[in-house]
Amino acid sequence: MNGRYSREITVAAALGLLLVALAVFAPNFFELQPLLSRFTSQMPALVAAIGITLVIITRQIDISLGAQFSMCAVVAGLVAAAGMPLGVAILAAVGTGIAMGAFNGILVAWLGLPSIVVTLATMVTWNEMLRLWQQGRLLPLPDGIQWFGLSQAGGQGLVIGIAVVLLLAAAWAMRHLAAGRHVYATGTDAEAARLAGIDPKRVTLGVFVLMGGLAGLAAVLNLVQSPQVQPNSGDGLELKVIAAAVVGGVAINGGRGNLWGVLLGLLLLTNVNPALTHFKMEPYWERAIQGLVILLAVVADGMKRSKKSTA
Amino acid sequence: MKPLLQLSDIRKSFGAVRALKGVSFDLQPGEVHALLGENGAGKSTLIKVITGAHSPDDGTLTVDGESLRSLTPSHARELGIACIYQQPALFPDLSVAENIGLRLKKTSAFAKVKHAEQRALALDLLKRVGAEISPDAEVRELSMPEQQLVEIACALGSGAKIVIMDEPTASLTQKEQHLLFGVVRDLRANGVGVVYISHRLEEIFALADRVTVLRDGESVGTHPVKDLTEAAMIQLMVGREVAALYPPAEGEPGAVVLSLKNLGCSASGVRGIDLEVRAGEIVGMAGLVGAGRTELARILFGITPADSGQIVLNGKALTLTSPREAISRGIAYVPEDRRRHGVILEMPIAHNITMAVHPVLFPGTLLRFKAETAMARDFIRDLGIKAYGPDAPGGSLSGGNQQKVSVSRWLATKPKLLILDEPTQGVDVGAKSEIHKIIRNLAKEGLAVLMISSDLPEVLGMSDRIAVMREGTVTAVLPGGADAHQVMAAALGQSGKEVA
Amino acid sequence: MSTCCRYGVDETSTLLNAVMTAAKPSLKSLLARHEVVLLIVIALEILLFQSLGRRFLDGTNVSNIFRHSVEIGLLALAMTPVILTGGIDLSVGSMMGLCAVCFGIFVNEAAMSPLLAALLAVGIGTLGGGLNALLIARFQLPPLIVTLGTFSLFRGLAEALTKGSKSYSGFPDSFLALGNSDIAGVPAQIWIFLLVALGIWLLVHRMTIGRSFRAIGYSPEGARYAGIPVRRNLGLAYILAGAIAGLAAVILVARLGEARANAGIGYELLAITAVVLGGTSIFGGSGSVGGTLLGYLAVAVLNNGLSRITAYQLFDQPISSVARELSGMLTGLLLLLALAVTPLAKALAARRTKT
Repeated sequence: MNGRYSREITVAAALGLLLVALAVFAPNFFELQPLLSRFTSQMPALVAAIGITLVIITRQIDISLGAQFSMCAVVAGLVAAAGMPLGVAILAAVGTGIAMGAFNGILVAWLGLPSIVVTLATMVTWNEMLRLWQQGRLLPLPDGIQWFGLSQAGGQGLVIGIAVVLLLAAAWAMRHLAAGRHVYATGTDAEAARLAGIDPKRVTLGVFVLMGGLAGLAAVLNLVQSPQVQPNSGDGLELKVIAAAVVGGVAINGGRGNLWGVLLGLLLLTNVNPALTHFKMEPYWERAIQGLVILLAVVADGMKRSKKSTA
Repeated sequence: MKPLLQLSDIRKSFGAVRALKGVSFDLQPGEVHALLGENGAGKSTLIKVITGAHSPDDGTLTVDGESLRSLTPSHARELGIACIYQQPALFPDLSVAENIGLRLKKTSAFAKVKHAEQRALALDLLKRVGAEISPDAEVRELSMPEQQLVEIACALGSGAKIVIMDEPTASLTQKEQHLLFGVVRDLRANGVGVVYISHRLEEIFALADRVTVLRDGESVGTHPVKDLTEAAMIQLMVGREVAALYPPAEGEPGAVVLSLKNLGCSASGVRGIDLEVRAGEIVGMAGLVGAGRTELARILFGITPADSGQIVLNGKALTLTSPREAISRGIAYVPEDRRRHGVILEMPIAHNITMAVHPVLFPGTLLRFKAETAMARDFIRDLGIKAYGPDAPGGSLSGGNQQKVSVSRWLATKPKLLILDEPTQGVDVGAKSEIHKIIRNLAKEGLAVLMISSDLPEVLGMSDRIAVMREGTVTAVLPGGADAHQVMAAALGQSGKEVA
Repeated sequence: MSTCCRYGVDETSTLLNAVMTAAKPSLKSLLARHEVVLLIVIALEILLFQSLGRRFLDGTNVSNIFRHSVEIGLLALAMTPVILTGGIDLSVGSMMGLCAVCFGIFVNEAAMSPLLAALLAVGIGTLGGGLNALLIARFQLPPLIVTLGTFSLFRGLAEALTKGSKSYSGFPDSFLALGNSDIAGVPAQIWIFLLVALGIWLLVHRMTIGRSFRAIGYSPEGARYAGIPVRRNLGLAYILAGAIAGLAAVILVARLGEARANAGIGYELLAITAVVLGGTSIFGGSGSVGGTLLGYLAVAVLNNGLSRITAYQLFDQPISSVARELSGMLTGLLLLLALAVTPLAKALAARRTKT
């Protein structure tokens, strides 16, 4: 297939290798309960990764998504703590995310500002606003929020279910809805997209809004997994999901990538750290390894590109 | 009959450059209307106004009886205007069927894409065009002519009443040209109006009903094709007697400065070039777009290094792998794309002029502003650059004056060989003859000049010898007095006779 | 033919030239200049804090403003050439963390003299900058994602080296003096800062390489066609940024007396803010070192001023105790405002001419 899926295959092979190594040297990695909770705890990142994938395909970036995630979690937590039903809390989280995403989107799409600087600025603004507001307090949640008020197994099932449904829906939409096509077209060549009758500004605004909404949903999926809300729960999430997208074959120059690659990339990255601990290595290396993986993926992309251009 | 499209007094400027100075044009149903003009005459800008990519500063467009000030791309599409661009505007990451679907089906963003239907449509259109391309192939895997065929299929399937073709044959092979001509005749038979742009006069005689000639941003006349001869068409395009316009050559050329022996570069498709340029001589380089002329210049300037053959400059064989190296050896290149490569528009003229001589003008890397301004003033005076001073940003100048700045930058390097690539593209008539005088005077002072140009009268009028390139190699070297048909025949190979 | 028409251009065009030279547009009104606007902003900040806080313009506090923010100033200087080339370096803050930790290890565990350790720390910064340079200039990868990767890598290495929490202290007084003493009545590190500022100013405004940074920022292809060594000069900008980040790390350790992995967290944002606030275009090409210095001043005064306000409360907290968060938030908003003001003005002007 002309290597169209070479990246997905490479990442899948790496993931397979990692899992086999774990199966041989640390079989207790595969004990059902810990495995299930580990998997569940990765679902919020998966939901955020869907959003960032669309943003990067549009040739933009959003490094404020971690800050959005934290902010949405606190808003949802406060609404729930005020005695509102869970549904209202979820709506509040998603609404807050959409508002923050729209803010980024307007600055990037309408004023033509570079998304890296805009989202760097909004990241700090939201994070510091949150610290100012919450002073790092843990926010206890009322009963009936954790695991959606279900049993732990039921709650885990629901979290995984929601994330998987979102992934399937997004993957389907990218392939079968005209909007998906517009996202790819805008990221490949905004001017050509405009000539084909697509409004690149609306597409850009749309993906940022979607990113915000998904950050809100991801925050909810994270919130229901513990009895309290940490005010900085999204710290570093942006790096994790950007790394997952880049590793999963989403071209940083836009126009290319698919969600299945991103899923594989995320699973690979999120299992590196547990693997480190299982291999009795120090977990402090996580961030360094994440950075290294991003660089490797970018270099691999660049080499592929230069090979193509000389051919 | 009511015209499909009528443009009246369309004007459009880009900064100081007036691209269209009041153009009028009309298109009837069932007509192929050719648009003819030299490079920079304003054809591309006019097309972009019709397709809504540019909005005009002044004038009206009447489409199907509806008068408009300007269009957007999607509005133009709704009105039934389709365009095949010179450079295919396809999305390389999407499949052929997806590209066709994206162009043809105006659906709301959240409508479901019907893959089977889309694929069937693509298959049908590709068949009607006669192209053997899989609808599932990703566009990035297609060759340039294949992409052009996809564009043609889009135009065919759009159900458009107005189809614009901007040099559609530029990258097509014989076989594909015949396919294209079939499509054009098919469209005309169905009452579609076709705006056809081409440099190849044979094509215009073979296909077009009427022709409108543009010159320096103005329309100089519309005529039925059958009323015109080829010579009359060239006359309209150029607008002046060729011979009288160009400064005459004087004296005999001196020693050989540049000598190319079997030069080639597989990456850019240039092969087996043998050529000599002497001191005091202007060698014109003619050929069609894509014949490899700019690619040759890029090899000589070290941008895409050669991988076979020899470059000998003043008796010394050179290996050139970077522009810096080429400059230090005495080669200068005034590039074709002035706005991207020639002049940095945001920077002052003085900075632009001294940019290639930093090591010479500023030994020890410290800037010397007085010396810089003095050098800029000298060039502004000597070349007659019209600007308010050395501090004027390049972008504030007209095209001709920008080109003079670009030439100044290279004269400052005191080159032995000056390569000019389309030196008068997008330059108005007055500045054009000034630039011609400058080039001739440089040659008189003993510079070896290699001048690439698609402007045939310019090549004929300026050159002491004419090298013609086709498909990556030099196919003929003609004396300066050669006539237009000899040059065109060499540039076209045998295809000129087969077209009709 | 007269001498002034060496290339044979008509006399008339020379005449026309003279006319056009006379018609040179008058200088833009003083108020429209970016630097003037910034000076006014800084003056307003000072006025505000002087009226709200205690002895804001007091000599000790003025020297504190600079002492406590000089690292940000250094990073802003380092970032200026990078942004002029149209790039960005997100890794400088993380680089400070790595260099600080390395410095601590060199002195505490390898028993080196602080001077040698400082030199090595700057060397590590240079190497890290070299990694950025290699990937961006040599392999032509996008600076944004490369430095996002090294942002994570450098901080991660610092965390790994300290196992997440270890900190190094107990440095000799002679070294701590660098961060805490005065020379000729001015904080010691300010002298270093001024030296670096002078160097960067020379580089950007008085040397050919500075000219080439701008050319690359406006048009990398155009610069290449003019024979400028684009890759080499682009690489130098990132290497220099790494070296200065190393220097900033040493100065930070000298001031705090402690080296930790979290040194310089978030400083890249402050530095970018100072540069953009100072009028350097985020798209590259235009900008000045003087502007960066003013931008840095505006950020530094804001940081310091907020921490000295005691009489006002926010969220039931005295402002001085939340100054860090408040100034972080305001810095973010300030950056957005600085970015948005030009395109907003343009959009409004375009709308006005349309109607």
